[in-house]
Amino acid sequence: MTATIVAVANLKGGVGKSTTTVMLADSLAYFYGLNVLVIDLDAQANSSQILLTERGVQAASEQGKGAHHLINQFINGETPDAAPFIMPNAVTLEELRLAEEQDERRGWIASLPSHPQLRLQELTLEEDWYSKAGTPTTLAKALETHFRAAFETLMPLYDVILLDCPPHLSPLSRAGLAMADVYVMPTIADAVSTWGTKQFSDWVGANFAPDLPRRNFVIITRFRNTSYARQVQTELKEIYLKDRWFGPTIPESVHVLNAMDRPAPDSYNTFRGKYGGVKGDVRRLAERFTDFLTQRTGRTWKKIRD
Amino acid sequence: MEEDPRLDAIAYLDRFFDELREEVRSNPKLASRLVKALGAQVVFDDETKGDVSNPYVLADGSKTRFYSVYSPMKASQLKRVLRENNLATSVDLRGKTPSQLIDMLYERATSKVQERKSSNI
Repeated sequence: MTATIVAVANLKGGVGKSTTTVMLADSLAYFYGLNVLVIDLDAQANSSQILLTERGVQAASEQGKGAHHLINQFINGETPDAAPFIMPNAVTLEELRLAEEQDERRGWIASLPSHPQLRLQELTLEEDWYSKAGTPTTLAKALETHFRAAFETLMPLYDVILLDCPPHLSPLSRAGLAMADVYVMPTIADAVSTWGTKQFSDWVGANFAPDLPRRNFVIITRFRNTSYARQVQTELKEIYLKDRWFGPTIPESVHVLNAMDRPAPDSYNTFRGKYGGVKGDVRRLAERFTDFLTQRTGRTWKKIRD
Repeated sequence: MEEDPRLDAIAYLDRFFDELREEVRSNPKLASRLVKALGAQVVFDDETKGDVSNPYVLADGSKTRFYSVYSPMKASQLKRVLRENNLATSVDLRGKTPSQLIDMLYERATSKVQERKSSNI
């Protein structure tokens, strides 16, 4: 077994990349018992905050965990190894925690969290690299090589590795995109997000994945159930991205906003309590995404919960 | 019966304030917002404190004041405050005594405030 690397990405910000990352991690672990590693490459650290809380992200950094420590390893020319920087427990669902407590672990979430410090570190790294006549492209390639080696021994431990990518094309982001087997592209049913979707699709298709349509899974969030939003959604599915896989349309809801604000690092919630009114949508997301992965990888997974 | 179109200004205002009074009686959250907007200090009884108090605002002040507001509340009221302010899930609240609930409320609210408040304030 080796993990499938999934980049959750879009060049446009605010389309729900971090929320989608967490929904995928939760639903794949909960419904299919998959072991998921969430790697946060975005210095905003949103998916890390959602999983671990702000306090948890800070504590992780102080314990030497996080993506910025992996970058340090690269800067210092040390042997690539991501294992020491991973938070082994990023589970927020009570059912998964209880199963683990009873030695019946089926489905787990670990995290290589981000930290705001990553932003400064990227700048320092880039300045240093370019001062030695390096280019953004050679830096992206060197980072990709380091990351691939750093995760090599970890690949058999996970079913899926989710990369939460930042909404720009820094060398770090490009390294993540280059590693990906498949690309999950969250978007919103509005005009500006549709333009951003086209730009991302064109760029990734030209630079990393000429076969993008087969490797692309699109998730639309609809803020309001208006005829305009439904029209944009239809256009995305039937015209602009008609050759892609689509997940269920996720309605924007207060419940999801609350679910993304974990009360404390020791707080847990049931799946039903966390996702409330959108729990059916999140379940369908996992079902559709595992179908997509099966078509890509040939691997199949059985549902362990309904 | 048709409305009398010849009401004077006082009668119109009386009607408006009657409606407002009714709403303030039945809606403590609105009452709290209105008196805050007027800059007034008022006392809410224990039954309505849970509706109008904001644990984040109180956590930004003194611990004594925080505990003086929440200590008189029953476990059910404290649980509601914790849930409605996204400071605990139902799972977190299981089997907790009122004193554990107040401590949880204080600790989590102060943590969130510390994490989110700009360091230059």
